[in-house]
Amino acid sequence: MDALQLVNTHVKLLAFDFLSTLKPIPHEPTSFSRKGKRLSRAETVGIIVSRDYKPNRFLKFDIDDGTGCIPCVLWLNQDTSRHFSRRCPSTVRLISQMAADFASQVQLGVIARVRGRITSFRGNLQITLSDVVIERDPNSQILHWLDCLRLARNCYDKVVVPPKP
Amino acid sequence: MATIASGALVTLEELAPSLPHFKHGISLRVTGKLQDYDVETAIAVIVDRNASLKVDTQHLNLNLRIGSIFQFIGELLLEPDQEAILKARVGRNVDGMDLNLYRQSLQLLRDFQAGR
Repeated sequence: MDALQLVNTHVKLLAFDFLSTLKPIPHEPTSFSRKGKRLSRAETVGIIVSRDYKPNRFLKFDIDDGTGCIPCVLWLNQDTSRHFSRRCPSTVRLISQMAADFASQVQLGVIARVRGRITSFRGNLQITLSDVVIERDPNSQILHWLDCLRLARNCYDKVVVPPKP
Repeated sequence: MATIASGALVTLEELAPSLPHFKHGISLRVTGKLQDYDVETAIAVIVDRNASLKVDTQHLNLNLRIGSIFQFIGELLLEPDQEAILKARVGRNVDGMDLNLYRQSLQLLRDFQAGR
């Protein structure tokens, strides 16, 4: 019986939900548990309310979606990171350029849609970004809220009942 | 690192003296149409239905056009005469936002957060 697989899909969660219901799983640093389901990635939409930019190292910022603030980190150190040293240099350059592009778009007061891996830093949940899109449609925040509510009710919160033998 | 306080979603009508969100220092996200703007003091007045709110926009870099709808996140300051002013940290023009849908969604969010 296959349980609903949410690992590796970017779940849309309201910030208060993300910050209060996700629990780390012992011995699995890349996965988190929410109401019995394993998650590893998330997506959120909100207003950027803080920005800490360290060139060539990282950009840290907070996204406020109205129900809470989710800390986000965008790594900018691909050129010097050991993690990327074995990969093809032109690929690393592309990744690095994309990250730098994202960083320049992330400004205070804009609405951004971000996706990435759920990570924990010093006990605090955050999103390590893979994608950023600046949302210009003023209704995008509302639509995200409605998506979160609908997905929580119809998908993420659903308890899977195994079929009777 | 302490995270910034999230701006609680409220309608301007909910910022009246007897109501729960009317607290000094509370972080709020407010939305309303710009009715008035004083360039010298940088104080804007936004309205929504029958309510209005003063917003201190001196730290913002926004084109504050009268008649446009704006959204601000900031802290509510209660002056001695109980007059409220929001000291905005960020703001944006939200012309085109469906305000009816916005108000309905606020209620849906509150129901969800309360576990209903």
